[in-house]
Amino acid sequence: MSAVVEVERLSKSFGRVRALNQISFDVQEGEVLGFLGPNGAGKTTTIRILLGLLHGDGGTATIGGHDCWSDHVRASRFFGATLEQPGFYGFLSGRDNLRQFARMLGPVDEKQITELLDLVGMTERGDDKVKRYSMGMRQRLALAQALLGKPRLLVLDEPTNGLDPNGIHGLRILLRKLATEQGLTIFFSSHLLSEVEELCDRVVVLNRGEVKASGPLSDLMNVKGFRYRIDVSDVDKALEVVRAVDGAKAEPGTIKDSINVIADNDIARRINYALVAAGIGVDQLIRTEQGLEDVYIQLTGVPVASPLSSPVPQAPVPPR
Amino acid sequence: MNIVLSLVRNEFEKTWRSRWIVFAVLFGLFLLIAAGLYTYYVYREHRWTPPAPVAWQSQLRDEIAGNQHTIAGLEQIKQQTQGQGGTVRVGGRNGPGVSIDQAIAQTQQAIADDQYLIEHNIAPVQSFAIAQASLFALGGIVMFLLTRIFGWLASEQIAGERSDRTITILLSRPPSRNQVLFSKAIASFLISLVVVLLSLVIVYAMFSFWLGSPGSVTDQAAVTIDGAKPLGPGNLLQMPIYLFVVMCFGAAMLGVLCVQGMSLLISVVTGRWAAIGITLALLFGAPLVSTVVAGIVFLISGSQDSSHFLNYLFFNILAPVGSVAPAFGNSTAAAGSGINEFPSEVETLAVWTFGFFLAAWLLFRRKQEAG
Repeated sequence: MSAVVEVERLSKSFGRVRALNQISFDVQEGEVLGFLGPNGAGKTTTIRILLGLLHGDGGTATIGGHDCWSDHVRASRFFGATLEQPGFYGFLSGRDNLRQFARMLGPVDEKQITELLDLVGMTERGDDKVKRYSMGMRQRLALAQALLGKPRLLVLDEPTNGLDPNGIHGLRILLRKLATEQGLTIFFSSHLLSEVEELCDRVVVLNRGEVKASGPLSDLMNVKGFRYRIDVSDVDKALEVVRAVDGAKAEPGTIKDSINVIADNDIARRINYALVAAGIGVDQLIRTEQGLEDVYIQLTGVPVASPLSSPVPQAPVPPR
Repeated sequence: MNIVLSLVRNEFEKTWRSRWIVFAVLFGLFLLIAAGLYTYYVYREHRWTPPAPVAWQSQLRDEIAGNQHTIAGLEQIKQQTQGQGGTVRVGGRNGPGVSIDQAIAQTQQAIADDQYLIEHNIAPVQSFAIAQASLFALGGIVMFLLTRIFGWLASEQIAGERSDRTITILLSRPPSRNQVLFSKAIASFLISLVVVLLSLVIVYAMFSFWLGSPGSVTDQAAVTIDGAKPLGPGNLLQMPIYLFVVMCFGAAMLGVLCVQGMSLLISVVTGRWAAIGITLALLFGAPLVSTVVAGIVFLISGSQDSSHFLNYLFFNILAPVGSVAPAFGNSTAAAGSGINEFPSEVETLAVWTFGFFLAAWLLFRRKQEAG
């Protein structure tokens, strides 16, 4: 495999704000690479540099061996892209929008446009004006636009924004299909860790303009330890009791009347015993293995459920 | 080249599909004006059909008679005021502050000019319907309004893409930024070319009706070289009438291009509403400021010639065509008119135009789209 995208010590500042600080990573041909990071981490800035919309202050960014800024015309023949909040000409239909963008690539292939509309499930609404589209429909049209001209690389910035659960599921299947059947290289940023976990071969985690981790998911997620969610009758007292248990790190849970506990070893019985012995009611104790979410929290320092990070689907509150 | 043609086609489609209403309103306005003028004509002349064409010599003789009548009136006023021991200054086309003696001298000059033309069988440019149409459509109120509309449309070209967020697709796709900018400039110019041409044809049809004949387009027509000087062998240029029309059309389109260059420059660095606002503020505000400045300069210097330099500012895009407007007959001699002004005004306009496009190009090729 060879690298389609190569980013070397790339830096970018906006005034005094350093958006990217010498980040390096690559995207190998045929792989699906997830680009993770909280808001303001520098994901969109990186993608804009790759698309030739911004110029890095230092370092290099190449696609297919061509510099993304100085040799943009050649680099752009490799990829199709969508950016967060995709823009279209609202006064034109979805089909006419695709025609507009197809003309930039050469003669318009009407058959391909019809196929792409079908692929993203927009056949029925393809002739409606885009100003009447929902956000989800715009996202799907953006994906069709990115696929025009059969690119070798797909660059997607938050492609699931505005999609309903069915749409997200459909997109996941479609991207996997494109990667496996057509050998398309996919580089996409997302806040949805579950998406990244299910789709990606590798991930790059970015925080405050720096690459915090990159590599295969299996390596990243090889974190030893256990995580517990315990629903209790008295949170404050439970925290006090559990923190006294050797090896347990406890903090209030994001769900009402619950605490979260992290430990290197499986200490579920000891925790349960200590709580019961202290007279605290234990309604439920759930043990889970550490996943990408935990790795993400460790690397970025931003709790996934924090109001400052993007919302992610939360587990339903168990009946009491 | 193919990619540029495709981009130009895209621009045509976008402009038509998003702004067809503007062109429809323009066409409707033309229809309304034509209908209004025709109604006035029918009411005044009590006839539905065009009048019989009048030879240009007859028109000039009428003008001479009218000017002689004016002189008689001015002489009468002069005698009355002399009796009262004061001087009266008259207004009108010569502007405020022209004394009666000056007005009489200028009117006598107009009579002499007309007589010179009749004696030497030289047709003045305004005796042709196509020339009148050119001056009205390319150097008057029609062009004034059209250039504002073209400026508005051009100001949206990049700024609109930025506001619609389509600029990310436009600039991330294979066409280079040079190609994108070039195709946008070409498309807006071609659209304006068609609109101006259509306007000229409509105005020509109206003048042909008004004068009773479409007139010749191949005859020789005379234009003054220096509008401030008397007509004579050294101050008269004869040219085929079609050449005069082409000259006016070229100058008018250069003016349009200048406005589009300025609008594109604004468009490169701003969003849609800022671009439209700044462009229209400049295009409407600058002539207003220019008029005020001209008034102040005149008050200070006492001469209209002192504000002549304003003709060389970019927003005075109608100046070249204005300078070749008839400067004899009813229009008494004035500084800043005549065909000798034309080349330098066109040259200045060309420099402004080149400067605007160059600045737009230099900015756009390095412009970063941070979103």
